[in-house]
Amino acid sequence: MCLALLAFALGAAPAAPPGLAGVAEALAAEIGPPPEGRRGLALAVEGVAPALAPPLESALAAALSRRGYAVSPLRGAADPEPRAREAGADWVVRVRGGLAPGRTEIALVGELIPTWSSFFLQRRPGVRPVPPRLVQARAAADPETLLLARPGRAADASRVAIRVLARVPGRVLALAVGDPVGDGAASAILAVTAGEAILLSGGGARLASRPLELAGRRPVRDPAATAAIGDFGGGRLALAVAGEPAGRVFAWQGGRLEPAGTIAAAPLCATDGGRIFGAFAPGKGLLADVLSPTIDPEAPPRSGREWLAVAAAPRGGPYPVAALGAGGRLELLRGDLGTAGVLDGVGAGFALADLDGDGTAEVVASTGTPGTPERVRVLEYGAAVAVAFESPPIAGAILAGAAGDVTGDGIDDAVLAAVVAADGGVATDLLLVTADPRVVP
Amino acid sequence: MTRLRAALAGLLLPAAAAAGVRPTYCGCDLAIGLPAAPRQWDPARAMDPVDLLALGVHHATPLVVAPAGLAPGLLAEVPEPQAGGRAFRLVLKPDLRFADGTPLGAADLAASLARLAQPGTPHGWIALPIDGADAVLDGRPGAPAGIQVLSDREVLVTLSFPLPDFPAALATIPAAVVSARGFGAGPFAGARPVRADGAFVQARANDACAQGRPFADTASLGAVDPRGAARQLERALSEDGLLLVLRPEAAGPGAVALPARTATYAALGPRLGAAADAVRAALGSIDRAELARLYVRGPSEPLATLLPSAVLPAPLPAQAAAPAPAPGPRRAAPAVRIALLVLSASSEQRAVVQRLQVKLFDRGIQSSIETADAERFWPRVTAGDYDVALVPVPLLAARPAIAAGEVAWALRGAAAARRAMASLSALPPSELGPALQALARDLDAIPLFASGLRATPAPALQGLAPRPDGTIDFGDLWVWQGASR
Repeated sequence: MCLALLAFALGAAPAAPPGLAGVAEALAAEIGPPPEGRRGLALAVEGVAPALAPPLESALAAALSRRGYAVSPLRGAADPEPRAREAGADWVVRVRGGLAPGRTEIALVGELIPTWSSFFLQRRPGVRPVPPRLVQARAAADPETLLLARPGRAADASRVAIRVLARVPGRVLALAVGDPVGDGAASAILAVTAGEAILLSGGGARLASRPLELAGRRPVRDPAATAAIGDFGGGRLALAVAGEPAGRVFAWQGGRLEPAGTIAAAPLCATDGGRIFGAFAPGKGLLADVLSPTIDPEAPPRSGREWLAVAAAPRGGPYPVAALGAGGRLELLRGDLGTAGVLDGVGAGFALADLDGDGTAEVVASTGTPGTPERVRVLEYGAAVAVAFESPPIAGAILAGAAGDVTGDGIDDAVLAAVVAADGGVATDLLLVTADPRVVP
Repeated sequence: MTRLRAALAGLLLPAAAAAGVRPTYCGCDLAIGLPAAPRQWDPARAMDPVDLLALGVHHATPLVVAPAGLAPGLLAEVPEPQAGGRAFRLVLKPDLRFADGTPLGAADLAASLARLAQPGTPHGWIALPIDGADAVLDGRPGAPAGIQVLSDREVLVTLSFPLPDFPAALATIPAAVVSARGFGAGPFAGARPVRADGAFVQARANDACAQGRPFADTASLGAVDPRGAARQLERALSEDGLLLVLRPEAAGPGAVALPARTATYAALGPRLGAAADAVRAALGSIDRAELARLYVRGPSEPLATLLPSAVLPAPLPAQAAAPAPAPGPRRAAPAVRIALLVLSASSEQRAVVQRLQVKLFDRGIQSSIETADAERFWPRVTAGDYDVALVPVPLLAARPAIAAGEVAWALRGAAAARRAMASLSALPPSELGPALQALARDLDAIPLFASGLRATPAPALQGLAPRPDGTIDFGDLWVWQGASR
């Protein structure tokens, strides 16, 4: 009977998201139990995302209550300290919080301010009886917490910021964004040049790299590669270079990219929903029309068409896959790989990224028109205004792209590779294209 | 390197990448329009500048000329001179194949070099420095002793005199490696007539090309007249595919001038006798700038010295260049009557020789014009069977010593070519000018002008990036916006 009641009680009071509950508990632990029996505590949660404040307040109130405080929330814009004195509270806790840099943790900082009336300070009513104290805590941010911590202004595909994340020597042929470990932590960027695989953090720092042996590679007039981050068996980083007989899989272990096997197909992209494999057309840097969810080297091409690149939307949507063909024609494909629509004027560097979090991926692409400066465009298929955003001219030639949550706000960003002149040779600027309101001015 | 932003100009970046777009292969057919249908398909025997350029469709050379200098073609690396510039070890890339699928090995490279030493070859200047080539050129059967096959991929070439610039000869189209069945290793293969009249012949993409399969599926070669080319370029598509016109004149907007590397000389024949001085003086007084400006339709350059600027490593010092010949007073000359030998196939050369005829008449020298087709012209030049011959020499090599050898070979034969190469080999730039003047006197030839071609691509054609020596990798051409059929 007792167990049944306990189960009912647990079921009737759903737990707060683990991230919120954890950080609230940690902060309450920092505050500690009520000293000297002063239990009256006013709680003011400030400066956090509007959606985050109420559940955070509840989580903190619950955690502090469990430590013996009588918690009364203070809401509104007025200074909480005089309001707490007026209400007769012993303490006021002003809590500010948000996602820590790197977007993997939620962090709280609180001021524990004494507000009781001191006999010895009757003539100076505003003076604090004991010094205030700073308390802080952090906990891993789960997806629900990330969702709640989103800033008040929603991401908008027409408000996009473009920043250089990193510069990579040589010409980047393929990009992938994803979780290189599989623990749901921060995303990383896999950049593939003709001779090197490079793993970078979401902030653009080089995490690891590995030379790609050229022996056995047949010459291809226009070098090309594919890359994907996902579950590929022994490793999560997969790539294929045109002219090579097989794709390669690497695992990020101990700060190194360790070979984890080969695959008899080109890994085109990987998402939460699965992986797509293809194959380079013989002797070419183009992909044959082979789009397969499994590694099947015998899979016949669906047609005689050839693709410059294939990309997937990290979170799916009505057209989770897109394939870029000749003349800048992008075919948007449904989950069953049937054609959902067509967009023209798409450059070779493109990504499917749900920049505004509305569940439908936008196409982030270069212009790629010969004779004109490169620009980054955000295209919305089916929208009244197809071009939601167009950047000023961008230095370099954008030839590869990928999508994933780089900023850690829970919404997709795009990374584009712009090949530029550098030191008598070429280098590639990795451009972050994001609608994250914390980044967009 | 087309349509690229200034920041990317001249980089080792594929043209397509520099343009911000990637090549599309889908169904792209090239049509390469020439002044005349190709007459000679063997790179070792072609002499016409257009034929030599078009042979790049089928053939690949051991080395190529890149902006930074020589670069590997079929060879794995640019060979370094050994034994004081008298030996070169040529190492082929692995797994090379001819367009018919047969393996391309060191024996094929050696055979291709050796055949350049056969008597009667127009490009014997390539093999001339090789040890033992003299005897073969004189008729001894066999291959020069200086060509040794070391392994499946290695050939050792030993020269009879130091010539550190010898690898430059391996970047010329006559040095292309050709199989025993006549197949090359270039981007395209075959010559299938595609019209009933046979005006255009079509080659298909060579999947085994050492630089990678060409972007286009086919390349057709044929003759187009200037007006027809302009009309077809306006329509973007010719009857045979997407057009690239290679003619002296621009066929439309976007024409790219190729380096002026066909040098024309007025060579004085040995049978002139006592009249030689008067003829030499008269020819020397001709305004070469006027000739180049008025009578050459393509890119041109008056020749101040034996070689055009495109072949020289740097502009010659002013004092080294020959002064422009002064017109000089007309004077009564002894009654001299000479014949001017010229190639019949070249309207440009015929126009120039008519101008020479006028200028010689002004100097009191009467002349007649003899035209000869290529089959009769070159043997007569080789034999010295002429009074004055207007000799166009396509300068294929990118180094002065080798290019001077080409000139000397064409005008005076093997011994003169050997002297020219040896005298200019490893010469410092400061001494190049006087040496070239001395060589021109030794060859008894008046350098007149250098001319070139223009490449006019159809608007949708991408990837046209002539190399510094004017050659084109036709495999790099591709089409934008699916304009091909």
